[in-house]
Amino acid sequence: MEAPPVTVMPVTGGTINMMEYLLQGSVLDQALDSLLHRLRGLCDNMEPESFADHEMVYLLKGQQGNPFLLRARRSLAHPPAPWHLRYLGQPEVGDKSRHALVRNCVDVATSHSLPEFLNEMGFRMDHEFVAKGHIFRKGSLKVVVSKLFRVLVQGNTENTEPLSLSYLVELSVLAPAGQDTVSEDMRAFAEQLKPLVHLEKIDPKRHM
Amino acid sequence: MYNNAFNPASQTYVVVVGGVCHSIMSGGPAVRVSIESACEKQVQEVSLDGVETYVPPLSMSQNLARLTQRIDFSQGSDSEEEGGVGEQRDQEWGKQEPEEDEATVKFQPSLWPWDSVRNNLRSALTEMCVLYDVLNIVKQKKYMTLDPVSQDPMAGKSPQVFQLISKKKALANAAQLLLKGAEKLSKSVAENQENRRQRDFNSELLRLRSQWKLRKVGDKILGDLSYRSAGSLFPHHGTFEVIKNTDIDLDKKIPEDYCPLNVQIPSDLEGSAYIKVSIQKQAPDIGDLGTLSLFRRQPKLKAGTQPWHLKLEAAQNVLLCKEIFAQLSREAVQIKSQIPHIVVKNQIISQPFPGLQLSISLCHSTGDKKNQKASPEKPKPDDHLYVLEHNLHQLMREFHKHTLSSTVMPHPATAPFGHKRLRLAGPMAYDKAEIASLQQSEGLLEKIIKQAKHIFLRSRTARTIDSLASRIEDPQIQAHWSNINDVYESSVKVLITSQGYEQICKSIQLQLNIGVEQIRVVHRDGRVITLSHQEQELQDFLLSQMSQHQVHAVQQLAKVMGWHVLSFSNHVGLGPVESIGNASAITVASPNGEYAISVRNGPESGCKVLVQFPRNQCKELPKSDVIQDNKWNHLRGPYKEVHWSRMEGRNFVYKMELLMAALTPCP
Repeated sequence: MEAPPVTVMPVTGGTINMMEYLLQGSVLDQALDSLLHRLRGLCDNMEPESFADHEMVYLLKGQQGNPFLLRARRSLAHPPAPWHLRYLGQPEVGDKSRHALVRNCVDVATSHSLPEFLNEMGFRMDHEFVAKGHIFRKGSLKVVVSKLFRVLVQGNTENTEPLSLSYLVELSVLAPAGQDTVSEDMRAFAEQLKPLVHLEKIDPKRHM
Repeated sequence: MYNNAFNPASQTYVVVVGGVCHSIMSGGPAVRVSIESACEKQVQEVSLDGVETYVPPLSMSQNLARLTQRIDFSQGSDSEEEGGVGEQRDQEWGKQEPEEDEATVKFQPSLWPWDSVRNNLRSALTEMCVLYDVLNIVKQKKYMTLDPVSQDPMAGKSPQVFQLISKKKALANAAQLLLKGAEKLSKSVAENQENRRQRDFNSELLRLRSQWKLRKVGDKILGDLSYRSAGSLFPHHGTFEVIKNTDIDLDKKIPEDYCPLNVQIPSDLEGSAYIKVSIQKQAPDIGDLGTLSLFRRQPKLKAGTQPWHLKLEAAQNVLLCKEIFAQLSREAVQIKSQIPHIVVKNQIISQPFPGLQLSISLCHSTGDKKNQKASPEKPKPDDHLYVLEHNLHQLMREFHKHTLSSTVMPHPATAPFGHKRLRLAGPMAYDKAEIASLQQSEGLLEKIIKQAKHIFLRSRTARTIDSLASRIEDPQIQAHWSNINDVYESSVKVLITSQGYEQICKSIQLQLNIGVEQIRVVHRDGRVITLSHQEQELQDFLLSQMSQHQVHAVQQLAKVMGWHVLSFSNHVGLGPVESIGNASAITVASPNGEYAISVRNGPESGCKVLVQFPRNQCKELPKSDVIQDNKWNHLRGPYKEVHWSRMEGRNFVYKMELLMAALTPCP
């Protein structure tokens, strides 16, 4: 029996063309409380939500130079929740006046057998870390304040040590391609956090 | 007063020098000195209220005792000893008054006890005489004159005037101080009153801020009266501006309702609005739609509420009504339904049931005088379903709360926003049906239409039952509505009974569950019947149940009366066909078997009662050759109809009981 023909047309539409707009910054541990208070006041009126996640980064080394990167993330606070697989593309090299980092983003919710599946596919885990912190939202804006922990023994998330004495603050929006007004809103919001934390677009290439 | 030690009684005496004192040289005329006893007793103590307690004077025997204590009886009683005694006594006395003058120590003690008194008086007398003489000589002015002592000329110049001036100055100073203090006090009191009356802008602003969201932009104070922070997604900005009220004339009296703060609301939120939901019979033509602008009386001002508060609340209500109406009209256009909804200007019209029209309209009155003249007729008060308007508000608020619920927050944190159950769709491989069931399928409009349908169905059911109950007396119909209802479901228990025989004939009990479009009837015997929304169906059903009840009642009555049921059928196939339901029939025989009663009751044809008599009571029976024995004459024979309407008794069962009683002969 022949294998059914696989469509060769590229998949467009749906969740494939979502762009992630990102602004990042950091605060020291001492300044965390005031930042949380400020965010509680600026963001939507909900109970503050805290999270604890374990992320594993998988690489697929092909014959070409650039390896393909996938991020698999699971929640330690809510074990039954599905895993989250994420692909982040290269940051778009648009005009410099755009205030946020824009990159293609594909999000998929998967079952709990994700690591084995990726291993079978040929991916190899590059590194893993644990992130704990708080998450806020304002409309479609998401603010994540997290502390990163290094996993000492592979697979053991109990034994971790903090990576630094600071918290990572990320402001992100998931929007379909082409909406540039989103970055304006993000910049306005970042302005309101100005003296506590400076959120700016950080190009990962320049820091590598 | 001299306390003479020589007086053994140690009493005090007052010496009064009476008379005029003449000048005496040695041996002048004697001056009379009279002595009287003071009769004063020594004060022992003075009590707290001033009463003096005197030492009681010693009685004679006590006095004697005291004296005898002083006598030294060991000395003996001869003259030498007397002298010795006298000397000793002298020595004693000398010791005892060391404070006496030296002159009196050498004095002969045995002499007179008044001696020192006399001496002192004598010296006083001498002094007085000398003074008298000097004054006489000075009076003659020959040998001695009085020379006045020179005085300070300034001392007595006008001492009173000076004192007056100084006192005046001092009083003036004191008065000035007091006046200054009083002025300060009165000024501060006046200021306080001024402030309280004016109600400082800042304190009013504080009060405003305690209830509404404010922020400062530049030099303007802006506020937010939208529901955005509560979860609304309506794109209206809802910003109001706070301005200081400066058009106050301080000279004139400040009016009672003066407020130093004024709020400026967006122009499209002015006035007041409400959503009118009403169900009417379908209008014959869709001609004059979309011109509803009915007014409702303004709610009474609560004492103590600020005018800005009322203004802001009204504006917020207008905004919420606009949001609700926008959502409803959006759904009315998007959602496909069998009968499309009509959206015209400020009204949405849909048809819940054929022949019925549900209209939801946004009534916004801007408070302009012009608009008020446009609709002169009074609004019909019972048209508007307040419950549905309230439910609309509640549904909108629930929608707001849902957007803010924590079920939207993703775990792990990098996952996109969305309902957490939907994220399971991928891993759990849901199919389309399951996904559709997860998503909120019903919009605001559909929910409201369902609720309206239910309300309408319920009121129509109640009306049907009530009209039947008032129209038909014989089997009585009772409806017990349950208190606890749902927005989509209510229930009522309907009992059909005969008056006076409720305990016997209670076989027809119906439980009606009124839903959105249908009525489900559960019979006591277990049958479940579903009726549609047609009013006629329910009415016909109830009528048929009533006719069945009569026959059931006869059955129960027969049991009680001792009659035997020969046959019973709920749905009789004989006789004229009923248009509503079926006729039921029963045949009962008397206890001794002589008589039988046959009843046929139909909802339309009414009741027919026939009595079967024994053969020997009928005269018209033809004689037959077949029947030869006489005993056959005791069997029941022909039937005779009863003129039921002429029968005595107030209802069917009573009449039946009387009939049965009449046909049961006394033993």
